Amino acid sequence: MPMPTLAEIQAAFRRALLDEAEESALATFVEEGPARIAVYRNTVFASLNDVLRDTFPAVCRLVDERFFAYVAHEFIRRHPPRSAVLAEYGDAFAEFLAEFPPCRDLAYLADVARLEWLMRRAATAGDATALTATSLAGIAPDETPRLRLGLHPSLGFLASPWPVDRIWRANRRGATAEETISLAEGGVLIEVSRRDGEVVMRILDDAAFAFRRRLAQGVTLEEAAAAALGADPRFDLAAALSALFAEGAVTELSLAASE
Amino acid sequence: MASVGGVRSETFGIGLRAPHVAELLAARPVVGWLEVHAENYMGGGTAAAELDAIRRQYPVSLHGVGLSLGSAEGIDDAHLARLERLVERIEPARVSEHLSWSVSGGSYLNDLLPLPYTEEALAQVAANIDRAQTALGREVLIENPSRYLRFRHSPIPEAEFLAALVRRTGCGLLCDVNNIFVSAQNLNLDPIAYLDALPAASVGEIHLAGHAAVRRDGEPLLIDDHGSAVAPAVWTVYCAALRRFGPVASLVEWDKNLPDLATLLGEAVKAERNAAATLHADADAR
Repeated sequence: MPMPTLAEIQAAFRRALLDEAEESALATFVEEGPARIAVYRNTVFASLNDVLRDTFPAVCRLVDERFFAYVAHEFIRRHPPRSAVLAEYGDAFAEFLAEFPPCRDLAYLADVARLEWLMRRAATAGDATALTATSLAGIAPDETPRLRLGLHPSLGFLASPWPVDRIWRANRRGATAEETISLAEGGVLIEVSRRDGEVVMRILDDAAFAFRRRLAQGVTLEEAAAAALGADPRFDLAAALSALFAEGAVTELSLAASE
Repeated sequence: MASVGGVRSETFGIGLRAPHVAELLAARPVVGWLEVHAENYMGGGTAAAELDAIRRQYPVSLHGVGLSLGSAEGIDDAHLARLERLVERIEPARVSEHLSWSVSGGSYLNDLLPLPYTEEALAQVAANIDRAQTALGREVLIENPSRYLRFRHSPIPEAEFLAALVRRTGCGLLCDVNNIFVSAQNLNLDPIAYLDALPAASVGEIHLAGHAAVRRDGEPLLIDDHGSAVAPAVWTVYCAALRRFGPVASLVEWDKNLPDLATLLGEAVKAERNAAATLHADADAR
């Protein structure tokens, strides 16, 4: 047998770790038996399971730890991390849950995961300096419609058809109260952010949600205001803008190219 | 700082883990230095602010676990850039990484995986270390891994492989005496011969930790789980390492079953006592 290259060994190792059924290639390269390969596999899966459990505690509680470990194992196999910064691992977990047949009966589960993911992101997002409303002074009135507001990287938005805020509260780490939450209560519009180091979740009305989410997507002030007015004709742009600045949510101003 | 038997207290540190940060910042216990995993501090928010506060109080070293210096596909530019920014911000006393790999096909397998010790691997790891040291503008200490298996084709002994990396790249070494002990037990090696084969002048740091003894396939196996106090046999290897390397900065790591901060600090004190006894006895013998 020709000597395997380093790249071949590492590819075989990766396959053997992610899928026990695929360890035959690695087995031909090493002296010791499957029990030794399993030591490495166990470390990979156990440590990544811990990471996911830590990021998605309410999901874990909703499905119980054993089922969570099973789901996590399947997720890790199919979506191993792409970065060594494990606080950033799990962005695909909510979508995975949404598509995972054994979870089909828990329609709201993926949205609970989306909410927990936003919270994790908010906790670890990069720091950015907030601008004050006075920074608008340099913008000429006729330029205002083309203004783009860069929002703090910790900000995230979730529109859910389920009362996921209440479901999350009842299942978050340390929650003890048993309560009955009716899914018929309907949906909720949630904003997650980090303020003074604390992750904050709050409910927004239709207009504020449309306005902020569109801004976060990078559209101009004019387009974001139009979306907000579409959601609620009573939308007050000046008040909405001053609230954003007051919360320290604006970190960048730029102008879209004029047409 | 205090000096016992010619060994200075600032030589001894602990691996700082998130559950201990608040207590450490509130109580400000006496400890020579702290080491954190670089990857836990590459974002913003509370963790970043806490590390800045810690750095104002203590010397800090950065221990990377994700650079994957052994990867055949090279090291990730984005990850190296994040490490570079962290090093600039923290100005660590030391920067270290591992003789291992974690990335293949762009996937990060969260473990320190073993390398075959071949000329091909030596050239690849040396090139990766070279890139890292150039980007960071400083020396990186390379840690010996704990091992559970051997490759059929791996002609270079691990300690010689490390010595060759030092010669080729000018890197330093982080000698993990628990890893040496674990690998030696699992793969039938002699820990003292291993220490003797390392270039003594290049060892800039020593790690200590606990391991677990288990059975697999009816055979005893040691698992490097950092889940208990340092084992007596590992203290013996530590003292042998000090005799060979001198009073090198020494660190106790504990991850699984993390005890309270006082217990962990107690392990660092134990390292100090072992070092004082070893180096003092040697001085008397001369």
